[in-house]
Parts: sequence; structure tokens; C-alpha cells
Amino acid sequence: MSREVPRVLFANRRPGLTASLAEFERGGGYRGLRRAVAELSPAEVRRLVADSGLRGRGGAGFPTGVKWSFFPHDAPPDKYLVANCDEMEPGTYKDGELILADPHQLVEGLIVSAYALGANRATVFIRYDYERAACALERALAEAREAGYLGEHILGSDFSLEIHVHRSAGRYILGEETALLNGLEGRRPNPRLRPPFPAQKGLFGRPTNVQNVETLACVPHIVAHGPQWFRGLARTPEGAGTKLFGLSGHLERTECFELPIGTPLREIVEEWGGGVWRGRRFKACLPGGASTPFLDARALDVPMDFTALEKAGSRLGTAGVTVFDDRTCMLRVTHNLISFFARESCGFCTPCREGLPMVRECLARLEAGRGTLDDVDWLKEQVPRINLSFCALAQGAMGPLSSLLALFGDEVLDHVGRGRCPLGEG
Amino acid sequence: MPTLTIDGRTVSVPEGKTILEAAEAAGVRVPHFCWHRALGALGACRLCAVTVLDGPQKGVRMACLTPVQEGMRVSTLDESSWNMRRSVIEWLMANHPHDCPVCDEGGECQLQDMTVAGNHAVRRQRGRKRTFHNQDLGPFIEHEMNRCIACYRCVRTYRDYCGGDDFGVLGSRDRVYFGRFRPGRLLSPFSGNLVDVCPTGTLTDKTSRFRARPWDLEEASSVCPHCALGCAVIPGGRYRELLRVRADPRPQPNDGFLCDRGRFGYGYANRADRPRQARLEGRPGTLAEAVAALRERVEGIARQHGPEAVLLLGSARATVEANALLSLWARRLGAADPVFDLAARRDGAARIFARAAPALRATLADVRQADLTLVCGADPLAEGPLLALALRQAARRGAAVRVIDPRPVPLVCEAERLPLAPTLVPEALRFLAGGNGAGLSQEVLQPLAETKRLFDAARRPVVIGSAEGLGPDGVRALLALVAGASRPDRDAKAALLLPGPSSFACARLASAVPNAQDLRRRLGGGKIRAVVALEVDPLAEAPPAVTGVIEKAELFAALDYLPTATVGRANLFLPSAGPYEQDGAFCDFAGRLRAFARVLRPGTPILHTGKGNHPPRTFSPDVPGGDAAPAWEILAEILGISGGLSGARAEIEKAFSFLQGLAGLRADARDERVLPGGEPPAPPGAPAGPEPAGLRLLLSDPFVGWEPLSAHAAVLEVLRPEDAVYLNPAELARLGLAPGARARVEAQELSEIRVARAADLPPGLAWVVRRRGSALSRLPAGEVFACRVAREEGA
Repeated sequence: MSREVPRVLFANRRPGLTASLAEFERGGGYRGLRRAVAELSPAEVRRLVADSGLRGRGGAGFPTGVKWSFFPHDAPPDKYLVANCDEMEPGTYKDGELILADPHQLVEGLIVSAYALGANRATVFIRYDYERAACALERALAEAREAGYLGEHILGSDFSLEIHVHRSAGRYILGEETALLNGLEGRRPNPRLRPPFPAQKGLFGRPTNVQNVETLACVPHIVAHGPQWFRGLARTPEGAGTKLFGLSGHLERTECFELPIGTPLREIVEEWGGGVWRGRRFKACLPGGASTPFLDARALDVPMDFTALEKAGSRLGTAGVTVFDDRTCMLRVTHNLISFFARESCGFCTPCREGLPMVRECLARLEAGRGTLDDVDWLKEQVPRINLSFCALAQGAMGPLSSLLALFGDEVLDHVGRGRCPLGEG
Repeated sequence: MPTLTIDGRTVSVPEGKTILEAAEAAGVRVPHFCWHRALGALGACRLCAVTVLDGPQKGVRMACLTPVQEGMRVSTLDESSWNMRRSVIEWLMANHPHDCPVCDEGGECQLQDMTVAGNHAVRRQRGRKRTFHNQDLGPFIEHEMNRCIACYRCVRTYRDYCGGDDFGVLGSRDRVYFGRFRPGRLLSPFSGNLVDVCPTGTLTDKTSRFRARPWDLEEASSVCPHCALGCAVIPGGRYRELLRVRADPRPQPNDGFLCDRGRFGYGYANRADRPRQARLEGRPGTLAEAVAALRERVEGIARQHGPEAVLLLGSARATVEANALLSLWARRLGAADPVFDLAARRDGAARIFARAAPALRATLADVRQADLTLVCGADPLAEGPLLALALRQAARRGAAVRVIDPRPVPLVCEAERLPLAPTLVPEALRFLAGGNGAGLSQEVLQPLAETKRLFDAARRPVVIGSAEGLGPDGVRALLALVAGASRPDRDAKAALLLPGPSSFACARLASAVPNAQDLRRRLGGGKIRAVVALEVDPLAEAPPAVTGVIEKAELFAALDYLPTATVGRANLFLPSAGPYEQDGAFCDFAGRLRAFARVLRPGTPILHTGKGNHPPRTFSPDVPGGDAAPAWEILAEILGISGGLSGARAEIEKAFSFLQGLAGLRADARDERVLPGGEPPAPPGAPAGPEPAGLRLLLSDPFVGWEPLSAHAAVLEVLRPEDAVYLNPAELARLGLAPGARARVEAQELSEIRVARAADLPPGLAWVVRRRGSALSRLPAGEVFACRVAREEGA
């Protein structure tokens, strides 16, 4: 690697190996938990997290401290903490990497967060395909239980917690937190109406906090080293912490790296990703998973931080960076992405259920060179209307589509004009 | 109360209401599919998009999900929300088949309306439409899944509102499928509501499939005649044939829902064997001849043998007017009151309840709003199905439901059950009212004490019984319980299930003192020479001791529209009009007079008179089979009352002061008038004798198979219960009966063979569910009889 970077979440990561409890403890593991239960009240832990500027790593980037302030921590049990490890966003695989590399990061994160929130039950909702990670996690839970970090009277305190692992049946919609709760309850995973928010009425009608795996893993480090340290990890003044960037697409090296928040996109592509593959030029990327708008080459110097990316017209999302080289047909990419979203729609609301397949068919026609200018106009009018869907799934699908029309409109029109893909072989 | 403007109209609605509800109040129709008054908002269809011009969140919002705010300015006509609604229609129509010409929903289809309203006329999509396989959902509901727009109303109705679990949503994305896991009959007794809530032709009424366009139907506001609850219905007919019944969408009294008995039980009106021709001593005649003969012969017998020779039988399913005129006739003849119910126990209970203070009588709305409901000696699903549905709504709001009954009473919600011998139910009610619980065992008293704590803490408790289940003693205990519990801050009410739509009025028309002994004396005296059965079937409903006397009478006259055993044996028959073929009034179980309007004139359906389902080419000034007249009209003629229905009602008001207001009732306005309470009946005489020793027989009614109208509807045949005798498993073993074995059941000199089944019953009890026409079913329900159950050899 070209540059020294702080190693926080991936400190114990070894290629092809999963860190044991001993390794985790050697690297300072469970120090955050020890400090929390021995020295800090739950309110003090919540204050530390609020001061740290930690923002949710699952896609929406909501400040964790604010979310926790809505949680009725003094309500009677049961109160639930759920780790969202559904991770089905195309181009995103960082949570799976984290659990496989060092499952105790999540276990400690869950315990400290549950302590802060007053939750007495925790569940890890894990993706169907992450069987290896689920097994690693279950092994880690057994180790933690054995060591007294989990179960009744954790580390001799009054705090008790049990953590369950729930394997998802495997649909993208389950990443939506209220659909996830329905799935956990054994119902159809349709998103729920908000309000009531999960903090008021979540799993089985009880207060529930749903957090991304990586977000939870950050919490013990904040408790152990303090919020100022955490803020200092970032390379932008408004950012905080490190971020797991999962690289994919047309790069020489497609791996998951832990880098400071605010690392410029160009550095990620050129240094960490080894540059665009086969010596080709950078055309575009999805900066944070399939539901974030495309960025083109003009945006290469943007720091990968929540606010900066929003200014650039996209979102940090899950920080799963997918890069496309200059020979890629962006219409084809969008068609591929929309096909995914149309397939993964739960079928609850009309724009998503009916609108996305129609957009898919329209893109297929355009890509095949059978589209018309009317089709392009029709696509443009769909974006604001499908954005009025019930949950964020279809709104996410509109990210790539709207940026396709904004950034690569000429390429779309070229398909209509030539009656074929301008980048195709023929 | 926030005030807002919608399309320039100012409206104030209570805090917490949504823009859609405010718009309805302001008279602005916001297009919608998934929102439903009774089911609430869902947010799935995204059709109710409106633009908030001024308010906390400006822009396009869903009207059904957005709470109103003071000073909000909303537009439904703004271009951005208009465009959204157009897109929703376009998305839905992209896959909806263009089969409106052969769709039964066509003409009353919300999707049609919205497509026209949304100005969607040109298809911009290419390619094929999505298709599905349909399922056979049984004899009531036709499934055409291609027409589905996935508004989720059906699953919310079937599962959430009605408590069914064999219909739901399967699959995902654009392949969501609304149906059953496997094809088959829908098992919920409320399945027909799917027809009403479905905004398209996906789920339609199979019983009237392809029979009429909705705009060709004759429809009117009516009251369901299939039980005493008085649900508001809108029946529809064409070509002298009753074709369908749908629920009145208005919230009261039944919240826009119906049971399958009320909806699909209309086939009695169209039967080919329906008696439509007057008959005098076996000879066909005109109705006028028969009316004259009835008057002359009854009056003649009364003159010659004294008025005690005349026995008039009133009916729970005849109109209030017909029953009142029958009472008036008895008065003029100097005869005893008509007998309105041959089951003495049920009759006595009803007479007491019909005199209770109106404030104590619960309506369906009271049950839905209750915070605690006790079901004591009643089977709501059989005796008043919508009450079971109302109980479910109370339970969904968090009310506890407790059942105190010997039978495993089926409900559509969770309930705590306390099985108790039938004779102990009144004592349990007295215990809840503060009694000492004498005669109740310790293992009963403990759960009862807990129920009492719940009851004492509840603010709107409703106690539900049935006339046949509780009997006079039980009804007294029921009324004492709620009367004692009512305080200014507390509204305790009682509901009593009665056998038919006029039962309450009949019980009020009858004197306060039950005359069951009186009837026995009259029948035993050998004096009865004339029997007039007004829309009642004593030969199927009364034990041999009673029917023997009736059959031997010199004059046995029957007025009816059903092909009953009584009609078959009567020597003077007058065809009367069915409930949907006349104007009149019923009186529901809470004592509210409810008027209904004629849907269609009586007459033989063209289906029967024509050939090949086509109107015949012969013309006549008379309607075939159209001789039938409303029973009140026949009786008014006999009494010499002119002036049609209003004339008859005026006479009735004069004769019976508690029916004041009857004349002013209008059916289309859903007018109702609450019958006042009355002089409380005399305290009970001698308490009931000791229970018969040994095995006791208890009869009760099924959902379908006993109620006289639906029992004559062929389509409901599938819902008739098995002819079984239910016993406690230990009892079965003691009798040497394996479940499924054939058993002979004998009681009161009646006997029949039934299939033995195990059920959760107190020991010593044999339970039989009645079926019209079976021998044992002639015994009154609710009473217990000594019986014998033995294995039927040679089976």
C-alpha cells in the first residue's frame, strides 16, 4: 500500500483467517466494553457516541447519536438491538468481510451499544449467502459467552444480554429496517408505515434500534479511545472515523480497504484500487453501492465523505465503490441495476412493483437500439414519480437512472440515433 | 380542530385525521385504491397523491398518510400530483386486461372510474401483459388474478378484519399473487366481503356471475333477514330474480361487512319449487279467494267454537307490521296473543330482554368499541355472525374476550374459555354481579373471580348472551349484571342474540309474562280448531306433542314464500312476498326499528318461465307467479285496513304505543327508531327443577343449516355441518364409541343416527348441532334433555 492509514476495524485482519478471541483481546479487544460497564453509565456512553460524530454506515448516514437519542432507553424490557447484516446492495460486501475477519468487533459493538441503549436482547440479521460469516459469528458468540462478555451479569455488572443470529431468507428488501423487523417476526418483509418508528414500536411491538454492522463495530473504539480520537481519524473536518471501502468493477485490485473518511475518490481508484484495469480510462463509478447516483470523471477529486458526496450529487451510501471503464455502456449498467431493483421489489407499492419493470423494459429497448425519443422522455418523467414510492428501494433505483439521464444523456440519445449501442462491437 | 383548505374549500377536522379524510369531509373526492374506510390507510397504491402548497412538508404527499395541520393548503388539481396519479393509473393499466366487457365488476369498478378520471386513454407500453393462473376458491368467489392491481384490500379484509388465514399474498415484486396456498374453498364465514372490498374484478360474486350488469340491477336499501342483527344490505335483482346481496358501505350498523349467510343465502327467493300459487283445500285458487276464505273460516270458527279455538302463530322472520297486524287480529277476535316463538325458554328470555332499558342494550358499534366482552351461553358465529366479527374488532383494539359456555364456541378472535355446564351459566353471571357463586365449583370460581376483576375494571364492557342459551333466568342475571355495573363513568351493556329479524318486536308484542304453560294448556285442551302460521314452519321446529295438534286442526292455514313442511301440509295456503320483495320494517336485536324498501316485485324468475334463459315471447297482463303479496298486506285486507303500508302502520301505532314512530321510518334514509323499555316482567316463579340425571342433550344452531331462509339456499349446501353428536372424549370411551362411529341419539321420543365426535365439553353432555329436517332438531335449542347415545349396530 502506498500510504500509512489507521487500522481500527481491520486491525486484526489476516488474509483468509478469522481472528480468535485471544487475538482480538491482544489487539485491545473488549477494552471498550470493560470501560463502559466499569466506569461509564449508559447515558455517558450515548454521550460519547453523540460527540464522536459517528454516522450510520448502512447507507443513509444518519447520525448514530441522534438516532440513539430517540430510543426510549428507560422503557421496561423487552428492548431490542438488531444488527443489520443483510448487505444485499450490489457492490457492497464490507460487513461480511468485517465479520469474517474479526467477528468480535461486531460482538463487542453489540454489547456496548445494548448497554448504552438499555436493550436486553440483540439479534444479528445476517444475509442468506453469508453462511461462513454466520458460523464465524456464532463461534465468536460462544467464545464471548465463555469469557463472561455475554450472558447474565456481564463482567460482574448488572447488565445482561443475549445475542441471537438470524439467517435471512435472502431478499434485498430485508435491508430496509422495518421490512427486516417484519422478516424477523416471520411476516412478509414489506416495509412498515412510519410513524411509529422502530424506536417506539419495533420488533414484536417493542422499542428497537436497528444498526449497520460497521456502525456497531465503531462504538467500542469510541468508548475506548474517546470521541476526539475518532473524529481525528477522518481526513475532512466534518467527517469522523474510518470507513470500509469495498472496491469492485473495472479496477486492478478489487478488495475491501479500511480508509479514513474523506479519502479522495481519485486516491481510492488510483492508489488503493491500483487504477482502472487494462490501462483504460475512468468513465464513472457508483460511490456507495447500487442505489447511489453515478459520478463521472469530473468528480474524481471529491473526498469520500457524506456531505461532500451529497454536494457532488451522489451519496456515500455503503461506500461500496464500483468503477466503470471508458468502454462501458452506462445504459447497459443502468439496465442491469434496474433489473436488480425490479427483481427485488417486495411488490407492496405501485411505483416500485409496476414502475420499475416498465423502466427495465424501456431501458432494454433503448439498449438494444429499438428505443425512441418518446421512450427517453417517458424515462425522464418516471424519475420524480417513482421517487414517491413507499420505501427507499425504488428511490434508490432512481439514483442511477437520474444520473444516467443527467450525466450520460448524450450516450442514451446516441443509442436512439444510431439504432444500436455506440460502444458495442457492431 | 385544525382548519385547512383543500381545492379552495375550507374544512375543520379533528386532530390526527389525514388529508384524505378531511377531503372526504369537505366533499372533495381524492382518488384512492388501497385506502378503505374500515380498513384504514396503507400507503401501497400511491394514487391519493395531492400537493401540499402550504404546510410543514410541501410538495406531493400521499393524502391517506399525511396528517392535517392547522393552516394547511392542499390542492388535488396541482400538476405535479395530477401527473403522479396519471402515472399510477398508467402503471396499473399496463398489465390490467382489457376485458371489461366480460367482467362482472364492469360498471362498478374503481379502476374503470379512475382510468377515466385520470384521463388515461393511450397505451404507451409495448410488449405482453403479465398473466397468472386463477384458483378455484369455492362456490362463492370467482378469482381472476390478471385483473389484480395489488391494493392489498383483500388480504387486509380476509386476514386482519375477518380473521381468516387461508387466503393471503404470495410471491413478490410484479408477481405478487393474492390467493390460497392451494386452490380450494375459502374457509372464512366472512369470505364474501372480498367481493365488496376488491376495487376491480379480481374477486367477484360467483353466485351471480355473468347474470347482470350492475346498472341493470334493481337495488334498494334493505335489512338482512338472516338473523336478528339487522345488517344494512343492498340486494340486487333482475328479471324477477334476486341475484346478489352486497353490504351497505355506510359504517352503521355493520361497518360495511356481511357474513356469507347474509350475502349468499338469497337463493330461497328464486327456487323453482317456491310456492307461488294460493291453494284452498288442495285446489289452486287466486290470492283474493284465499284471503277471503282465511277471514271467513277463522271468524266462523271463532264464532262457533269460541276464540280459544284459534291459534295464531307469529314469526321472527315476518315483518314487524305483519306480526303487529296478527296481534291486532287476535285482539279483534278476542283470542289469546299469537304465539311468536314455539320454543318456550327462548321466548321467555326474549320477552324479558325486550323490556330492558334501551341504554342497556348493546349495538354492533358498542361491541366493536368495547374494552371487555363476555360471551355467555351464546354462539355468535351461528346466531348472529356479524357479532362475532364485531368481537374481533374489539379484540383487535385490545379488548379481552371471555367465553363462558359449555360448548367450544367458535370465534374469529382469541378468547379465554371457561367451559361450564349449561345450567350453571346464569349462576356465573350472578357471581360476576357480586353473588356468592353458590353451586359453582372451586376450579370454576377461580377463573371467574379473575373475569370479575376484569369486568369491574372495564369502562365499556359488553356481555353477550343468547335467548336460547341463557333462558329467562339467565337473561335476568345478564340484565342485573350490566344494570348494576353502569355508572356515569362506565357504560356496561348487554346484547342478546335472538332467532330472527323481527324477534325483538315479537317479544315486545307478546305479553310480558311468558305463556309457555298457557300454550301447553291450550294445545292440551283439544280445543284448537284453526291454526294460522304466518311465515313460520312449526312442523319442522316443534316437537310431536305440538305438531300433532296443529296437523289435526280443522283449518291449517299458512302464509309463506318458502317450500316448508308446513306449507306442504296446510289446507289453506297464501303465497306471501319475501323480505326483499316488499316495503316493511324489521326490529334488530337492540330493539331498533329499521325500515327497508322493496328491491323487486315477487314473480317467477324469467329464468324459470322463459326458455334457454331468454324472456318468453308470450305476453300477458299478469306477472307469472306474481300473485304473492306482503303478509302485512294480506292481514290488512283481512282486518279491513286500507291505505297501504302507511295505513297499516297508522293502525299499528294506534294499537301498540311502543311502536310509535313506525309510520315515519324511511328506508333510504336508514331511519331507525329505538323501542322503549317496558314494565319489567314478574320475578321468576318456581326455580327450574333439578337437572335430569345421566347424559343430557344440548342442541344449538349452526352457521348454515337451521336459519330458515339460508337453509333453502342451495349454494350454501357446502357450509352445512356434519350430522354429528359431540361428546367429551372420556364420555365417548365410556359409551364404547370411537370418533367417527355411528351413534343413535334418543331424546324425548325422537331419535336419529349421527356420527360420534370428540369435543371439549363438560362431562355428561351430548351436543348436537341442528339441521332443518332432522328429527332431533325439532327439540328447542338451549334446553337440556335426558338422552341416550348408543352405538348403532350393523353400521
